[in-house]
Amino acid sequence: MSSHTDNTPESDSESINFFDPAAAAHPQPVFERLRKQCPVGNAVPGGAVCISRYDDVLFALRHPEIFSAVMPAGLIGNVRPLIPLHVDPPEQVKYRKFLDPLFSNKNVLKMEKDVREIASNLVSRFADEDGCEFNSAFAIPYPSTVFLRLMGLPEDDLEYFLGLKNAIIRPEADSPQQEVKIRNETGQEIYAYFDKFLDKLEKSPRDDLLSLFITAEVGGERMSREEVLDICYLFLLGGLDTVTSTLGCMVSYLAQHADRRQSLLDDPALLESAIEEMLRWETPVVQVVRTLTQDHTMGGVELKKGDAVTLVLGSANTDDEQFANAQEVNFERTPNKHIAFGGGPHRCLGSHLSRMELRVALEEFHKRVPEYAIKQGETPVYSHAIREVTYLPLQFGEGQK
Amino acid sequence: MSGGGKLKVEHDSNACVGHGRCYVLAPDVFDEDERGHGVVKQASVHAELAKQARLAAENCPEDAITLRSDDDA
Ligand code: HEM
Ligand code: SF4
Repeated sequence: MSSHTDNTPESDSESINFFDPAAAAHPQPVFERLRKQCPVGNAVPGGAVCISRYDDVLFALRHPEIFSAVMPAGLIGNVRPLIPLHVDPPEQVKYRKFLDPLFSNKNVLKMEKDVREIASNLVSRFADEDGCEFNSAFAIPYPSTVFLRLMGLPEDDLEYFLGLKNAIIRPEADSPQQEVKIRNETGQEIYAYFDKFLDKLEKSPRDDLLSLFITAEVGGERMSREEVLDICYLFLLGGLDTVTSTLGCMVSYLAQHADRRQSLLDDPALLESAIEEMLRWETPVVQVVRTLTQDHTMGGVELKKGDAVTLVLGSANTDDEQFANAQEVNFERTPNKHIAFGGGPHRCLGSHLSRMELRVALEEFHKRVPEYAIKQGETPVYSHAIREVTYLPLQFGEGQK
Repeated sequence: MSGGGKLKVEHDSNACVGHGRCYVLAPDVFDEDERGHGVVKQASVHAELAKQARLAAENCPEDAITLRSDDDA
């Protein structure tokens, strides 16, 4: 299997700072140095302690009683903790028992037909052109349209919705103070938007997810309006960008590896395990955060109660101690215990939905556009933290390598 | 876990968090419960299903699946 070579710029060949935007296109070598030099330690002086070995990351994910996911409100415009992400078991389990069945693999597969129609409509808008900017043409509108349909929200609100999400995740501000201000104001707008919609549903519930949220019993009683809003808020922030980023990373990878793309065209049955392998290799959600509830020693480093730590999922997923030939991309890899969706009790609620969305998107895209490459003379642009390919210029047609 | 004999499939529901790898990779051996957590469909599998069972066990990120030789059962 050939090693990974692209035409995008490399970051400093000594750096262990995976937060550096220059590392976003190719973070894997940075992770490797980080794991070797300080598997439990600072990637940047003064930053939070980063935990980067697979075993250590998984241990932390599985032990919320030591590594708590509870976070103070306010960092992302929210005035209360997000549910269920910022709540630990056993309280968190109450919400998951209600939410898990709605997002189970079985239930998600029932939505496949609708989702396929959304994908194929979007693809047909650009399939006959010479190329497209994939992020704006597909990767951004696709999961958001699916989300609106799923929640029972008006599809005309798409642009408004994307604006709210972007203002929280990437506020366009001149100063950190202004960032906080934009986030807080947008946060209020998000609460108000859902609040108004829920008022309407309360009068006339329908057959959709949001109606269920306000009528169902969770842990023996109906959820308060605030609880429902705290779930909606997390869905908006957690369910859109993640799929956009993952899809962008995958299509960018396939655009730069014609042989791999061809292997999918030759053997469509390979797609599911190829998606797992690209999830592992790309790990678009690079890191998650936890706070120590007690002193704990990991990798010889004493972590103190109250310390914040960063669990580097991207590094865990490319750790040679866990994966054979970890630095190679192998679409038939097994075992592949990647943790791109996290692990332990906070395992991504949307993992089954995402897997279906990714599979359907790639199927529909490849059906109409089997041959594509990065547009000549151009370079894809990656953002860091969540590795969205913010600019992904593609050129379509036969002979694209 | 030698060669072609029968395998006993054990699933630790305390460790399982519903990644769903098992019932996708080994649909004849595992099923999903209402929450999307794995449940054992066939607790003892013959050689022809052993491959599926192994695929599930080695791809469960929570190590919730254990396979044992069932020859002496
Ligand atoms: C490929 C796309 C996605 C990726 C890579 C992804 C990744 C993740 C990760 C890594 C976590 C764990 C966070 C932590 O442990 O701190 C998580 C949690 C979560 N995700 Fe996703 N996600 C994706 C799509 C979605 C979608 C579509 C939804 C829509 C409902 C969603 C909803 C959630 C929720 C609600 C949680 C919190 C679960 C809990 O705390 O119990 N995600 N996701
Ligand atoms: S793969 Fe593992 S964690 Fe996932 S459902 Fe199966 S047993 Fe549970």
